[in-house]
Formats: sequence, structure tokens, C-alpha cells
Amino acid sequence: MIAPNLLKIGAYGLAIAVSAFFVFPYLWMISASFKSTEAILTEPLQLIPDTLSLKAYRDISVMSGIGLGTYVWNSIWITFASTVLTLLTTAFGAYALYRAPKLPGFALLRVGFLLVIMYPYMLLVMPVYLVMFKLGLLGTVTGIILFLSVGPIQFFLFEQFFRSIPREVIEAAKMDHASEARILFRIVAPMSRPVVVTVTLITILLNWAQWFPILVISRSTDTYTLPVALLSLNSELGVNFQGIMALATLTTLPVILIYLATQKYVIEGMISGAVKG
Amino acid sequence: MKANAPYENGVARRWLGDNATFYLFAAPFAALTIVMGLWPIALSIQTSFTESYTALSPAPNYIGLVNYVEVFNDPAFVKSAWLTLRYTVLAVVLNLLIALFYAMFLSSALLGRGAWIFKLCCFLPVVTPDVAGYIVWKWMYSGDFGAVNAALTALGLPEFGGVSSVSTATIAILIAEMWYHVGFYVVIFLANFAMLDRSLDEAARLDRAGFWRKFWKVTLPQLRPAITINSIYALIQFLKTFTVVVVITKGGPGTATNFVSYYAYRQFDQAQYGTATAMATILFSVIMVLAFALYWFNQRRDWR
Repeated sequence: MIAPNLLKIGAYGLAIAVSAFFVFPYLWMISASFKSTEAILTEPLQLIPDTLSLKAYRDISVMSGIGLGTYVWNSIWITFASTVLTLLTTAFGAYALYRAPKLPGFALLRVGFLLVIMYPYMLLVMPVYLVMFKLGLLGTVTGIILFLSVGPIQFFLFEQFFRSIPREVIEAAKMDHASEARILFRIVAPMSRPVVVTVTLITILLNWAQWFPILVISRSTDTYTLPVALLSLNSELGVNFQGIMALATLTTLPVILIYLATQKYVIEGMISGAVKG
Repeated sequence: MKANAPYENGVARRWLGDNATFYLFAAPFAALTIVMGLWPIALSIQTSFTESYTALSPAPNYIGLVNYVEVFNDPAFVKSAWLTLRYTVLAVVLNLLIALFYAMFLSSALLGRGAWIFKLCCFLPVVTPDVAGYIVWKWMYSGDFGAVNAALTALGLPEFGGVSSVSTATIAILIAEMWYHVGFYVVIFLANFAMLDRSLDEAARLDRAGFWRKFWKVTLPQLRPAITINSIYALIQFLKTFTVVVVITKGGPGTATNFVSYYAYRQFDQAQYGTATAMATILFSVIMVLAFALYWFNQRRDWR
């Protein structure tokens, strides 16, 4: 039978062509960051340059008078701190709201939270400027970290997980007069490893990509992260194309590596976050 | 039994203690939600009723609905709203149709186990920082050394105006946004395809139902959960289209891509706090109404 085989080859051909649409921009970006200006103008489609130039990476070692290291450090520290804070607040919050939904004030808190996540994020950032101004946190890393720690998907992922714990497990512990803190730390927490891993990964990816709140809360380039530095490099006059591609590569590469290493967790986590949200 | 009394006492104390524990657990979450969420929203709505240049002062001047009237009488806003609506309809329909058929293709027997790597590829942009992705697209559209026109020329096709021409700017950012978002919708559809009842396929085959008939009567009704989720997500996503405009077109050329959230941001940037927050409140109301309507529609409608 030849026909089914031909069909299969055709199907793979189509799938590869569609995938090329998704993957090509990455290859082009990485390639351009290593090209000389001459090669860019003469061979825009060549993905493997004849000579490797590291000039673009040297060019971006200092931007707007600030070393690349500062932007990298800001990205790592802001991502790390806001991920830890998001995880702690949403995990404990979702747990409390799941276990004791009838406590006075909790229903109101849930409605308030739903309202916040339905408000368009880009439009929320503008008034956050006013809030940061009133709190005296404008231009501070603390302000940025606090704002990034409001986590919608994270809350739903945790809540969904807690709902899946068999009631008997918790009832049994209550029969033994275990305190609520003990139930959480001794019984629920050890079961939560997979959901914590998923939420951590998704939060790292989301927070690493953030730019608008950081741009709005910042008062100078001192608190910029890599995506924000990339945006401001892009809007500078007298553009350095290869430099922009080099910075884009540095901004993207860590995320791609994390994604490729943990894709199953990331994709499944995003799906269940969306389905619940 | 004298053990009974301390036990009762212990239960009461424990009940208080347990509630205190729950309040303690919820406190940081509540604090963040209020300070970083509810407060700014309230402030935004409040600011929309004040005069722009007094908005930041300790005693803002309240002017009722003047900002809203001004916004609706602003021809630039009306045009921007129209552009946003047109773009949203186009983007939602295209993204969902392409995602649906690509997911159907990926989950078909044709690709077998090799499908996971294609799924991996289409989801890659979803986790990429959007700024980086869009900057690469901006340069790929460049007339001098962009890959898009170089490829078209190599294939002997006419050049694509990209983002520098009014007639093609919308399509250019639509493609870039599709590259970034469509993988998410594909993956949601794929999750739904994996849950389809295959015995119905068999029944359709025995009934000699054609491909379209089977698709329409058997597959589509079962995809309702994914269609609901994706249409709500896509609608919200494209109504607030922002980053791609900031990075690639800055609203241009002219006002060709001056969508509402970008226009509101520009107003805010120029210290027009009153009108900017009025626009934000309008867009928020529209998104809320549409999302609820769509949810209700998809829940109620009998798919035929």
C-alpha cells in the first residue's frame, strides 16, 4: 500500500512547514546576533553566517550607562522574589479559602480577587502607578516585586489541586485532633509537590517576561529587567540591529531552556490553569 | 469522667485557633489583592470622574461624567474603538479556526506519535517574552534586510508592505500576534480532542457520514468546552491588544493600529489621567459584558 505512506509523508511535510513558522524567528534572531553588518544586508535569509561576530554582544555590555550585568541581575532577582511571594501568598490563600469558605470575609475576598483578575492587566498597571506613588514605592524593586506577585493562574492551580485531595484524608486528621497548621504542613504539603513544581515553573516564565508594570513603576533604568532594557534599546535612535538581536537572544534563551527541559509540566499546568480560570 | 471537661474546652479553643490559622494563611493574599488590585481599580474609576490636572493632587476636582462625554465625542477614540473591534473579530475568528484545524490535524492518526514535537514547537512562542518575540517580528518585516521580504523575493512573489503601509499594518501585526498566541489555543483544543468519545466516530463511520457531516454533528458538539474557553480567552486577549502595538507600530502608520488600550496608555503618558481612566473603565465594561455574554451563550446554546 503506497497511498497511506504518501499521505503520511504529506502530513509530516505540512506539520514541518507550520512548525517552521513558529521556530524560524528564533533561528533568525540568534543568527542575526552573530552576523556582521555586511552579511545582514547581503544574505538576510542565511541562518548560519560565514563568520561569527561577537561584536553585538560586546556592544550591549553597557546600555544607557548601565552594565548588562545589572539588567541580568534585576531580571533574576525580581523573577525569583516575585515567584516566591506569588507561590506563598496564592498557596496559603487558596488553601484557606478552600478549607474555610464560610469564614466571615472570605466570600468577599474571593469576589474581590475575581474582579481583579478580570480587569484588563494593561489598564490595571496605569492606576498602579498612582498606588506606588501614594505608597512611596515608585522606582523601587520592592514595588515591582509586590505588584508582580498578584497571581491569577497560580491561585486557580492551587485551588484545583486542593479540591482533588480526598476529604477523608483531612477528616481523619481532624479526628486525631491535629491542628490546622499541622494538617497543612504534615499532610497536605507533602502531597503538593507536583503542583508546586508546576506553579513555580509557570510563574518563573510569566514573571521573566513581564515588562509593562516594570516600565511604569521604574523611575530610571536602574530597575529595568532584560525585556524592559530590550524595549528601550529598540526605541533608541540610531538602532544597533545586531545588538537588539543579541539582547533578544539573551532574554529568550533562559526561558526556552527551562521550557524545553520541563515542557510537560508547563503545558499541562497552563491548560489546567486556563480550564479553571 | 473528668477528662470530658478539658476536652470540650480544647475543642472550643481549637476552633478559635483553627480560624485564626485560616485568617493568618489568607492575610498576605488578601493584602496583595487589596493593595495591588482592588485599590488601583477603585482609584482608576475614581480618577475617571476627576479633572486630569487635579487627579494627582490631594483634593481632586470632581467633574461627573465630563471625561466620558469627552471620550465619546473624541473622533480619534471612536475610530480607535472601531479599529479595535474590527481587529478583534478578525483575530478571534482566524486564530480559533486555524487552531481548531491544526489541533485536529495534530491529533489525527496521520502523524501518530511524532505529533508531540509539533505541539512543542507551536507552544514555544507562548512562553517566550512577548517583547522579544515582537521585536524579532518587527525586524523580520523590515524592508532593507528583513527575512519576510527576502523570502518573498526569492520565491518570486510581490513584496509585503509590512508595518510601514496602512493597508498591510493590521495584517502584519495579526500574523505576529497569531505566532505568539495560537499555540495556546491549539493546546487547549488538543486537550479536548484527547477526551473525545471515539465510539461515536465508529458509529458515524458505520452510518457512512462524510467528513464534514461527522465534523459538524459529532466532533464539534464535543469540543464545546474548548471552544468556550478559547473564545473567551481570545476575545479578552485581542480586545486589549497592546504589547505588539507598543513594540512594532506605535499605533501607526498614521492611526492604523491605534487600538483602545494603546490610545488609553498614550493619554495616560501625556498626563490626561481623567480621559485615560475613563477609556480604561469603558474597555473594562465592554470586556466584562462580552465575556459574560459569551460564557452564557456557550453554556445555553444547543449546538446543532
